[in-house]
Amino acid sequence: MTKHFRNLLVTWILLLVLLGTEFGASFLPLARSMRPLILIPVVLMVAVVATMFMQVGRGPTIVRLFAVAAMVWLSFLLVLGSLDPMTRIEYRVQDASSK
Amino acid sequence: MSATTIEPSEYANSYLTDGFTLRSWLLTTDHKRIALLYLGSITLFFFIGGAAAALIRYNLLVPEGMIASAETYNRIFTMHGVVMVWFFLIPAVPVTLGNFVVPLMLGARDLAFPRLNLISWYLFIIAGMIAIYSLFVGGVDTGWTFYTPLATEYSKGHVVATVVAIFIAGFSSIATGLNFIISIHRLRAPGMTWYKMPVFLWSLYATSVILVLATPVLAMTLILLAFERIFHVGVFDPALGGDPLLFQHLFWFYSHPAVYVMILPGFGVVSEIIPAFSRKRIFGYYFIVWCSISIAVISFLVWGHHMFVAGTSIYSAMVFSILSYMVAVPSAIKVFNWIGTMHKGYIRFDAPMLYALGFIGLFTIGGLTGLFLAALGADVHLTQTYFVVAHFHYVMVGGMVSAFFAGLHYWWPKITGRMYPEMWGRLGALIIFIGFNLTFFPQFILGYLGMPRRYHSYPPEFEVLNVLSSAGATILAAAYLLPLAYLTWSLVYGERAPANPWGATGLEWQTQSPPLTENFDETPIVTDPPYNYPPPEVVQHRV
Amino acid sequence: MWLFLATEVLFFGAIFLTWIYCRHWNPAGFDAGAQKTQLATGTINTVILLTSSLVYSAGLAFIEAGNRRRLIQCCAVTWALGFSFLILKFGLEYYKDFAAKLFPGPDFAINGALGGGARLFYVFYFVSTALHGIHMIGGLVLVGWIILRARRDEFSPLYYTPVAVVGLYWSFVDVVWIVLYALIYLVGRGS
Repeated sequence: MTKHFRNLLVTWILLLVLLGTEFGASFLPLARSMRPLILIPVVLMVAVVATMFMQVGRGPTIVRLFAVAAMVWLSFLLVLGSLDPMTRIEYRVQDASSK
Repeated sequence: MSATTIEPSEYANSYLTDGFTLRSWLLTTDHKRIALLYLGSITLFFFIGGAAAALIRYNLLVPEGMIASAETYNRIFTMHGVVMVWFFLIPAVPVTLGNFVVPLMLGARDLAFPRLNLISWYLFIIAGMIAIYSLFVGGVDTGWTFYTPLATEYSKGHVVATVVAIFIAGFSSIATGLNFIISIHRLRAPGMTWYKMPVFLWSLYATSVILVLATPVLAMTLILLAFERIFHVGVFDPALGGDPLLFQHLFWFYSHPAVYVMILPGFGVVSEIIPAFSRKRIFGYYFIVWCSISIAVISFLVWGHHMFVAGTSIYSAMVFSILSYMVAVPSAIKVFNWIGTMHKGYIRFDAPMLYALGFIGLFTIGGLTGLFLAALGADVHLTQTYFVVAHFHYVMVGGMVSAFFAGLHYWWPKITGRMYPEMWGRLGALIIFIGFNLTFFPQFILGYLGMPRRYHSYPPEFEVLNVLSSAGATILAAAYLLPLAYLTWSLVYGERAPANPWGATGLEWQTQSPPLTENFDETPIVTDPPYNYPPPEVVQHRV
Repeated sequence: MWLFLATEVLFFGAIFLTWIYCRHWNPAGFDAGAQKTQLATGTINTVILLTSSLVYSAGLAFIEAGNRRRLIQCCAVTWALGFSFLILKFGLEYYKDFAAKLFPGPDFAINGALGGGARLFYVFYFVSTALHGIHMIGGLVLVGWIILRARRDEFSPLYYTPVAVVGLYWSFVDVVWIVLYALIYLVGRGS
């Protein structure tokens, strides 16, 4: 049992480390389009919470199926949804006046 | 006919006699009573939406429009769309036939969360009342699709009220979906493995997956829409940096899978009826089952085909076009499965079978015309015309509503303990088929010739086709009143039904008609595969 | 509960797509808005929520071992942490945001070329944090319910399912915040 509590504590420390990493990274002078890379520690933190606190690994298989399905469908939304703005060709109008 | 020599009149007790007070109905947790509560509600909404349709077709009798203003016409077709989509089509089969039949088919006593089931009905009713309220105070003119900037900036209608109603109805959908998924996972009778489940259960499982994953996106979309309308912050307004297409992407991410929510249960119903009335095992069980699941998945990947001319990037349009062709494949496979089931079967043309056959034909036409629209080049010409209107009415009305009637007639003996009058049933199916085609086939031609949709007037050269369509609508309206009449009649005067009037397989037929509140005396144990009809060689065909 | 959480993933997913679109079309203004967020408060709140997930998970572990008293204590601490989050967020941070005229209403603080994007950023900020807050309140109700049931001695090593289920919900609301924290306070900062 103590092992389990120790694991929880280690998880918490890991989360704080990742938090610190992304916090620090946010001060780096990254180009505007590169800044979303700060979200990489976020993905890791989500995975850590899901495995250690929510114990997605421990339950019946159906639990992992639902969790994976949620991520897959989220990716449908975000990836296919972003495809349009990322590939749209903009025809800029001359700025006649300031807005 | 398979085993039922038990006399129907022996069943004095059933779920219908288990309490006669209003309280016992309004506070019931019995899935069968909830199904009836829903049936009454969606019938009401069907006729409200139908009244709006009647006004639409009435208006289009003459080229300049019978109803004076375009604004009023816009409000009418919006009402038709909103009521029909959210208060009839999306709930229809799952909440009435699904709620009633699923636990019986599973061999269970009730769904996994009976109280959640009741709550979902109350949410539906509250949503419906808000929608009717917003209708009474004038409705909304944006179309059921609420495109920005009309919905957020320029509409003088009651957008927020309508949107709140739909938001609440969404929770009702999600609750139903959750209930079905958990029930199918947990409550199958002993011996009923996944591959022994009837196809109807697989279809409802697939439907529930869509409901559960798509509806939340609609919820957020409506929140953003309301926020934009009230505060004009610019999320969808290009002048303020927003993107009107964001609304369309979010809206269609839900609404395209939503149309599969409408049709998948219909597929399931037809998959039950064709084997029963062909006295033959379903052809290609594994194909049908996995096609349902693949439709549930691929349906989420095609939404951009509603936006081909909206201004999206051509590359994203191409991707969505290809994916849209892919989604047609599983549906087509199912059609072949049904035909294969009927081949060398012993076919009876009772009312449910007539509706199911109508479904196959009309859905095929509707589905194929969808492919025309999925082609980028053709869509540029056909989009926003009556071709689209005809396409979706063929699949929704010709398909889904036919399937709903098919299922209603098929399970009517089980639900009410009465047989409906067969000749009237067949007549109704026939008149609906004729009225439907007369209403909507001319619309394919109108669309091809270029008549735009959602216009209250049109150029005079389209008059003949419009008049034909309106004539068909009149026949269709009368035809829908026919089942309302004879089904109601049968509640009192119909012949009492035995447990298994059709001689069909499936656990729901192994209990009395109508069932006891607990469904089964003892939990059934399943040993046979689904659709365990005798092989065709054994059945005598009349030459 | 996992199935319900899947619906929530898609619910918040829609507003994540909105973030993508708004930032894509207005990168400068969007980030300008982000720079006015209160990084200190946001970071403290993140630490609070991460700790609350730790404490609740510990409580779950305690009841799995039969220790009812520790479960109740852990739930109480979780509740207190959650409540402090709400106070900091809505009591302190929102108060300052409104005082700085950051609500995207008629008298929005940032104008000019960056105004549109900044305004959109604050639409995202207010809608997402308000919705997250509503979910947090729901979480507090659920945790409170667990405390009440635990005090009535309804849980044991043989039966603690509600505790686990509420824990899933609580951790999920934590996960949503983890994502929102980065999207709101971090991505637009710097440069």
